[in-house]
Amino acid sequence: MRVWKALLAVLLIGAVNTAYGADKEMKVGFVYVSPIGDAGYSYSHDKGRQAIEALPGVTTSYVEAVPEGPDSERVMQNMARKEFDIIFATSFGYMDPMLKVAKQFPKTVFMHCSGFKTAENMGNYFGRMYQARYLSGMVAGAMTKGNVLGYVAAFPIPEVIRGINAFTLGVKSVNPNATVRVVWTKTWYDPATEKEAAKSLLDVGADVIAQHQDSPGPQEAAQEKGVYSIGYNSDMATFAPKAHLTAPVWNWAPYYTKVVEDVRKGTWKSEAAWPGMADGVVDLAPFGPMVPKDVQDKVNAEKAKIVAGTQKIFVGPIKDQNGEVKIADGVVATDPELLGMTWFVEGVVGTTK
Amino acid sequence: MLRMRITKRQEPLGIGGSCFVLLTALSLSLLVSAVLLYLGGTSPIRGISVLFQGAFGSRYALEDSILKAIPIFLCALGVAVAFRLKIWNIGAEGQFALGAIGATWIALSFPAWPKFILLPAMIGMAMAAGGLWGLIPALLRQKLRTNEIIVTLMMNYIAILFLDFLVYGVWKDPTSFGFPMTPGFSEQAIVGKIGATAVNWGLVHCLVLGTLVFFFFRFTRIGFEIKASGDNVRAARYAGLPYDRLVMLVMVMSGALAGWAGFLEASATVNRLQPSIMVGYGYTAIVVAWLARLHPLSIGIAAVLLAGLRVGVESLQLDLQVPAAFGGIIEGLILLTVLAGGLFTHYRLVPRKH
Amino acid sequence: MTFEIIIALLAATVQSGTPILYATLGEIFTEKSGVLNLGVEGAMIIGALTAFIVARFTGNPVLGFLAAGLAGSLATAIHGVVCLGFQGNQVVSGLALTILGVGLANYIGTGYVGMSAPGFQPLAIPGLADIPVMGPIFFQHDPLVYVSYLIAPLLWLFFARTRFGLGLRAAGEYPAAAIAAGLNVAAYRWLGIMVGGFFMGLGGAYLSLAYTHLWTTNLTAGRGWIAVALVIFAFWRPGRAVFGAYLFGGIMALQLRLQASGTQLPSSILLMLPYVLTVLVLVLSSWRKGTSEQPGALGVNIEPVD
Repeated sequence: MRVWKALLAVLLIGAVNTAYGADKEMKVGFVYVSPIGDAGYSYSHDKGRQAIEALPGVTTSYVEAVPEGPDSERVMQNMARKEFDIIFATSFGYMDPMLKVAKQFPKTVFMHCSGFKTAENMGNYFGRMYQARYLSGMVAGAMTKGNVLGYVAAFPIPEVIRGINAFTLGVKSVNPNATVRVVWTKTWYDPATEKEAAKSLLDVGADVIAQHQDSPGPQEAAQEKGVYSIGYNSDMATFAPKAHLTAPVWNWAPYYTKVVEDVRKGTWKSEAAWPGMADGVVDLAPFGPMVPKDVQDKVNAEKAKIVAGTQKIFVGPIKDQNGEVKIADGVVATDPELLGMTWFVEGVVGTTK
Repeated sequence: MLRMRITKRQEPLGIGGSCFVLLTALSLSLLVSAVLLYLGGTSPIRGISVLFQGAFGSRYALEDSILKAIPIFLCALGVAVAFRLKIWNIGAEGQFALGAIGATWIALSFPAWPKFILLPAMIGMAMAAGGLWGLIPALLRQKLRTNEIIVTLMMNYIAILFLDFLVYGVWKDPTSFGFPMTPGFSEQAIVGKIGATAVNWGLVHCLVLGTLVFFFFRFTRIGFEIKASGDNVRAARYAGLPYDRLVMLVMVMSGALAGWAGFLEASATVNRLQPSIMVGYGYTAIVVAWLARLHPLSIGIAAVLLAGLRVGVESLQLDLQVPAAFGGIIEGLILLTVLAGGLFTHYRLVPRKH
Repeated sequence: MTFEIIIALLAATVQSGTPILYATLGEIFTEKSGVLNLGVEGAMIIGALTAFIVARFTGNPVLGFLAAGLAGSLATAIHGVVCLGFQGNQVVSGLALTILGVGLANYIGTGYVGMSAPGFQPLAIPGLADIPVMGPIFFQHDPLVYVSYLIAPLLWLFFARTRFGLGLRAAGEYPAAAIAAGLNVAAYRWLGIMVGGFFMGLGGAYLSLAYTHLWTTNLTAGRGWIAVALVIFAFWRPGRAVFGAYLFGGIMALQLRLQASGTQLPSSILLMLPYVLTVLVLVLSSWRKGTSEQPGALGVNIEPVD
């Protein structure tokens, strides 16, 4: 009889523990590649962090400006030792270090942004930014007069290349004669160089400037020249109200909230997640007043199709710069193909090297 | 107001006095940092203790600090060799890059070689590449009298972009989904960890190389000639010392040591070549070498302290949400106060007589 | 390339060379007095942030510009205290100033990211702006570019024609002799550091008030280091500094325009061009010249014993 009582007690304590586990205090850590003051990519992730910090029972912390080599490994180890429950690392170069650390700390959940490797306790995720890029391309293609668009690009990595391609496909869907010219700056936030790069594109006749860096330098260049621009990361309209047509923007809050809740409930599984517009992770910033109603309607209609899943964007036939068919007629590019994209679609002027 | 006057000491300040000055300088910089922390809304005592805990307060922290000190130490050792001759090599960053490139070239070309051949070959190529990158400014200086500061600085940018060129181009791992990184090194090309610690055998390389450099300057004729020429170029030339050859020698040695650091970083810590390997150790090395007055043992201590500071600052961010930039502020303050404290090694302040 | 593009390229050359030019002239001023200051980057970024904050709160970019100069002077005064007051090594002190300055600016500046401030807008100079070729290249910029045109000749005059300039050079060339001749070398060196810092701060202000009108962390992005290199490139002469800054800025602008024109060269190789060419030009000019004009006592502290 006593044995049963004891057992019952153990069960009860177990039950209480489980119940307690459901709203267990969660510690969530973030590793950023740049200071959150970059006004761009890391900043947008940090907005997501702030959203989950506001959840009951969740505390968060972050380490910013962490180089992608051994330093990031140390930072993640440190977080895991301090018993963080979830660690988000938001740059590609953190992938291998995170994989190493994930093996050492099997109880911690690791989430890597923008890579391709997973482990039992490590998932990867990214947003389908290319969907919003495509829509911004439609706007740019409709607004150009000279049929030359400029794209100030950061580093020739697949994420950026995919964005340029989606943008170009969007441009060509409304304006088949337009071309997109690309300039690489090899910077993520050097406003002066990025502005200069935009000006170099304006000099060769571009009349809409898009960008993939964190600084609004290119926006300023467009406004000063009296032409249009497409922002990135967050609504950049305040920097160039007369030029800013729209911007593909990040919104990490819904996704981060979901991951935290899943881990808390114990339903989290390691996976390669690639949420998009349908999940609210990427979106298009409000249109500037200069975008005509019919263009807005057309883009919004296309956006509805993307959200519904009927517009996949990278659907063949798609040719590369040399006119060679890379995605066959009617075929939809697979996620691995998109993840490893290293070639430009037809209509882009520039090199991926 | 009490007016002070500076007078020269008969004897340089002894070790006890030096330690006192150093500690005073450190306390002063920490005090200023603490005030800044307080203004930023963080408890200064908590902040400083978290900083120390994070840097040296546990076995892990200590290992991390030593691990980070390894490349800084080797680069600083190299820089110190050139500085002995008063050749201002600020190109350790580029020489480090070339070392990593050289080692990677061997590691990717002959992945199947046994470890005892492959690692020495990688070291050899890293030293050769780094040394060559150091030799170019030396030759230009000697033949055309171009200033080595500007040439080494420019060559840093060129080396980093060359590394980019390789990693974004011909050496890109075909399985990396287009990301800029070489394939991972084979097991034989990796310098392992010492026992169950996080520290790799690079630490032993540092000890050996540090000792060798110490003996080189202490006991060899060339080492002595370098010191003598550094102290007084004109006198050395007059005495018939081969100044031009010494310039080339120190730049090659300097580059080779930085190259070795690049090899270790690629082989032991990253296990491949990727652009993020470049985090400015070559510039940190200049500060470390100077603070340590170019002495190998002091360089070791300074490297561990500076590495520890950088490691500790991460804890400050993680535990107390202090921005990353704060690390730069503490580092700058420490350097400036320690430097100012150096005055008391050779001088003293005495009240001015009326 | 068409004619218009070349004109646009040269105009861009002037603009992208200007922040470097301010900083280079500042460093020349400091080095002429015998003090090596590797803290240019730190002084610049502090200037950039100060300019931005002051312009934002006063609504007056001119005040911001001047405040940036003062902030630059204050920043380099730290270098003065350590090197002139405490005999600290000039190389380390300068590096430390860069580390401190960048840290401080990013620390304070985080709250200002994403804000906007009133800045300088292009202002064509009546008459001059309409000259064919020359007008669009030189005279259709913002006022800060025109100010930079004046500084180089003024500095040249100062060094070559004034007693102060002579004293400053003496402090940098032969401090012992200068002291013997009754000059207050320490005061001249303080002047060199503070005025140099003023120009470095102005260079930073150019980035946050004219080139762009915004502040982000690491806004200077290494331009201070280029300035340090260009001083040597310029053989410590203001005129050659103008050439060096425009050469560097010009190659940067050129490689971007080559990309925009659709070249197939890899971007890593194109980005190398400014650095490679700087070295090449230095090699060529050193070859012809054979001597360096480095101030004799550069980087050497004066013994403080009185």
